[in-house]
Amino acid sequence: MKTIIDDIRARFSVEWEHEQRADLAQIGVAPGTVVPLLTWMKLHTPFVQLNHLSVVDWLEDGEFQLTYLLTDPHGHRSLMVCTRIPREEATMESVHELWPQAVTYEQEINEMFGIHFPGSPRQGVPFILEGWDDLPPMRRDFDTVAYMHAHHPSRPGREHVDPRVYVGKVFGERGYLHDDD
Amino acid sequence: MEKRKLPVLPVAAPPEGSRPHAPLGEGCFLGEEELPKAPALKEALATIKNWFRAQSLWVMAYGTGCGAIELRPLTTARFDMERFGMAMRPTPRQSNVLIVSGYLATKSLKRVIRAYEQMPSPKWIVGLGSCTINGGMYWDSYNTINRLDLYLPVDVYIAGCMPRPEALIEGFKYLMERVKKGEANGWHHYLENLDWYKANQKKLITDWNLPDYNW
Repeated sequence: MKTIIDDIRARFSVEWEHEQRADLAQIGVAPGTVVPLLTWMKLHTPFVQLNHLSVVDWLEDGEFQLTYLLTDPHGHRSLMVCTRIPREEATMESVHELWPQAVTYEQEINEMFGIHFPGSPRQGVPFILEGWDDLPPMRRDFDTVAYMHAHHPSRPGREHVDPRVYVGKVFGERGYLHDDD
Repeated sequence: MEKRKLPVLPVAAPPEGSRPHAPLGEGCFLGEEELPKAPALKEALATIKNWFRAQSLWVMAYGTGCGAIELRPLTTARFDMERFGMAMRPTPRQSNVLIVSGYLATKSLKRVIRAYEQMPSPKWIVGLGSCTINGGMYWDSYNTINRLDLYLPVDVYIAGCMPRPEALIEGFKYLMERVKKGEANGWHHYLENLDWYKANQKKLITDWNLPDYNW
């Protein structure tokens, strides 16, 4: 893994790197570097397969983190390419021309987080939700309980126990169980 | 109460050699006292029909949530629901029991409504798992309903998360008892209160593109 990260460092500016396991590493790059980097990796390295494209909502930082999981199918190694984009009017360059399956990931991210991928087909086409007219539901500022109260009437009599209170009662103030307990 | 006398019907002459019998309405072999009255006959027929219905619950092979995983052992060798006369059917047109197995997403609700309305009457709904009762562990989700009985008539609820196949058998036996007694009339309630059910459904499903009733 070290070799491939060194190769990337020689060609692109890498903000940070982290080797999680012998077969899994993460690197952080600027949003503008992602598409050139992924193109180079697909053409010149064994990391030719896009396994996953995921999003983390860093609400406090005002940013979305996109993670492209690339795999070397013969070496059984994976590399995660992470980038952060601003949360307001979030837009990211599409990679659907490198991997056609990215269209589906980008469609889902567009629906669930509201990130726009210009040029990617099926943007704005409903993927899972039907008739949705609220904030994208996977954003952390979407209040799912308030939405539930507004749309899904509940049967009276349901008791709600705050997990933190319940766990505190069972395991004490530490909130978890020690090995010596 | 005035005793109702059945009309005397013209009877053709009996074939030669046969035993003569009294004209209809004047006794026949039952005797005057044993003549069946119309309501009692209707009741008896209904009882027989309900008995047959209870012995042949045909379940639509459709699972909405994780609860459907408990239906597999029920249908196969270990718990074998066939011994209660229950069988899985591939289409709504051939089934009269719809199991809503676990959480029901708003999107699935639309399909469930469509399937339910296409089933021939009499038909029954079994709500399986806590999710159909009060939302279960998905109570605060944006896309799963909390109460099934607002949208479709439920005849039997089976509580649990998940209920084991034994619990399902108990639930189905209870449904059979209710069917035999003629108490499981959810489908009737649905038709009588169709406006109320439709209003609830349309309130939730904003992009309503179904017909008013899926015949």
